Amino acid sequence: MAHRNEEEGSIGTSMHGVTAKEHVFSFSDQGEDAWSSHSVQSDDPTAMFAFPVDSEHKAKVFKPLSFAKPHMRAFHLGWISFFTCFISTFAAAPLVPIIRDNLDLTKTDIGNAGVASVSGAIFSRLAMGAVCDLLGARYGTAFLLMLSAPAVFSMSFVADAGGYLSVRFMIGFCLATFVSCSYWTSVMFTGKIIGLVNGCAGGWGDMGGGVTQLLMPMVFHIIKVAGATPFTAWRIAFFIPGFLQVIMGILVLTLGQDFPDGNLSTLQKKGDVSKDKLTKVFWYALRNYRTYVLFILYGFSMGIEMTINNVISEYFFDRFQLELHTAGMIAASFGMANFFARPIGGFASDVSARFFGMRGRLWTLWILQTSGGLFCVWLGRATSLPIAILAMMLFSFGVQAACGAIFGIVPFVSRRSLGIISGLTGAGGNFGSGLTQLPFFSSSRFHTADGLSLMGITAMIFTLLVAFIHFPQWGSMFLGPTSDNRTSKEEHYYVAEWTEEEKLQGLHEGSLKFAENSRSERGKKAAPDGTSTPLENENPANV
Amino acid sequence: MAIHKILFASLLICLLIQSSHAATKERLFSDLEKSALEVTATPSRVGEGVGVDKLSITWKVSSTATKEPEFKAIKVKLCYAPASQVDRPWRKTENELFKDKSCPHKISSWSYDPAMKAGQSFDYTLERDIPTGTYFVRAYAVDTKDHEVAFGQSTNEDKTTNLFSVQAISGRHKSLDIASVCFSVFSVVALLVFFVNEKRKAKIEQSE
Repeated sequence: MAHRNEEEGSIGTSMHGVTAKEHVFSFSDQGEDAWSSHSVQSDDPTAMFAFPVDSEHKAKVFKPLSFAKPHMRAFHLGWISFFTCFISTFAAAPLVPIIRDNLDLTKTDIGNAGVASVSGAIFSRLAMGAVCDLLGARYGTAFLLMLSAPAVFSMSFVADAGGYLSVRFMIGFCLATFVSCSYWTSVMFTGKIIGLVNGCAGGWGDMGGGVTQLLMPMVFHIIKVAGATPFTAWRIAFFIPGFLQVIMGILVLTLGQDFPDGNLSTLQKKGDVSKDKLTKVFWYALRNYRTYVLFILYGFSMGIEMTINNVISEYFFDRFQLELHTAGMIAASFGMANFFARPIGGFASDVSARFFGMRGRLWTLWILQTSGGLFCVWLGRATSLPIAILAMMLFSFGVQAACGAIFGIVPFVSRRSLGIISGLTGAGGNFGSGLTQLPFFSSSRFHTADGLSLMGITAMIFTLLVAFIHFPQWGSMFLGPTSDNRTSKEEHYYVAEWTEEEKLQGLHEGSLKFAENSRSERGKKAAPDGTSTPLENENPANV
Repeated sequence: MAIHKILFASLLICLLIQSSHAATKERLFSDLEKSALEVTATPSRVGEGVGVDKLSITWKVSSTATKEPEFKAIKVKLCYAPASQVDRPWRKTENELFKDKSCPHKISSWSYDPAMKAGQSFDYTLERDIPTGTYFVRAYAVDTKDHEVAFGQSTNEDKTTNLFSVQAISGRHKSLDIASVCFSVFSVVALLVFFVNEKRKAKIEQSE
């Protein structure tokens, strides 16, 4: 009873990361060898999935407690892989007080290694979208996990500052799982809920940076109690994140599935996986000034978050004379706040958009990120432990919610280059982390406390850039939408990314559909537009 | 009247802060009696290895010591020389004793009574968690409240003479290295096996 679905997917389906409301591929065969246990009513009667799905077999509901194939399973495998990589990347941070004695490190050495740990992912995140296109989300994820596991294990060889820096640099590449995870959820979940799904995946993955601050001192302590000397125990402790990565890699490959309908290799022989030209997609991303603004902004929310993951445990250990595991516990609560903080940020962005449209989203972002910076300043100033902890918790909420809020805006910046832009934004996070660690935490010029305050002030200054994000159709923080009748239409903005030639071929159809859906970003003034414009009357050309 | 109340309240608060401040008693290193103890530390060889080599340490009460009646215990510590403190703020020397981090490693402590004026001499085997660096030995004399009152050290005031260096263990083990290589190889090979297998299956299906 195979039902051949002849509808061809629109071009421009390059899935380089987070995609919101794109059509993906056209898939034919549902096939009797359907892999789900039982089918529930769905819009597509030929599909046999555990959840209701749309015409692309993307799930229309999000049930976090389910592990059903293929959608929820992909979600869990995706975010846990990302979570594991966060654990590995920041595993050294809570153990620095031991490592610095073993390897005779200076503050400069420690700081430089911290910068190195986040720098690799700047490039791997950019490349990851293309890798997932080529290999599928499963192998994209598995490659990252299983090829960086040797780097984690090689901590046992490290004997000096140079070795330490190299190993942390190589481990850091695996943070590109952010992109592979978003890619995977984007092919599995439909546009209406993808914001929430990605907010949860991103937030829960980021939690790894917090969990590691608890996990590593605990593992270190257990190994010490079992009889190892401290300078050996920390090396053995690194085997744990290494094992986790290998196990996750194998789980991803055995339990996961690239697309709702099967794996990439199986599907490639069936239908054409049509793709947009990479150069064009890149070009339109680079031409859009908002890309750069988002790059910087994410650097001062996610970037700061990653910097704190690297420095906060040592800070509490030294400044307040705490035990290693106590400092770890406090540091952990910073990262763990991600569990709800990031999804709440995304949610707040959505709610403000309901009333005020895109202008609401921009204001929400500015408020959250600026208050994050403010509390960071307070954290640096705090001299008593309870105040420091309070400041840190408020700070963590501010920056993490800001991360969620930024990705409420990213899907609207471009439709054609959405994947590249979210990859670039993600890379900006790593860039910002390196940028803040280098001057503020890598030399003896500043006390760490002053470094924190300065970082907060810098963040608040750069967050003012939000005011420069202007959409002709929706406005910006201080300006309303343009009054020009032509440019104030969403269609104009999104179709401008296609040349006349491409429009003649009808390649811009997806953008038109997206533009129509994006009218919700006008806020309460969004009038349901029943009349179709001349552009929308074109029939999809058969390419 | 309201203004008077506010002023009075703020005065009270200031006094409270003041008194609590005094209560933390910032005991300063510079207040301690210098050279009340004569300390010598001799490494058994140049470039001491931890866990193996010994330090021969002696301390005795100097004839010039004035606070000697207050001594209740002698604490001997291993301290970082300036060379090992460069660019390492977690080993910084501070005048306030509770903040000072330059002498974190305890060697031993002795209960003191006046009969021990002639001092003690003992051997100390370096602990396995002592980091690589340059060191000297300092002995603090503490009173009944466990507050330092005097000290002596094996080097001069500028900490330039009689310093010795310590070589830490690397913490590396052959077995660990081998395990690390094995798991790394497993990880890469497993990935390749999956990859090649799947490509092969796809080819087979395609040719059918």
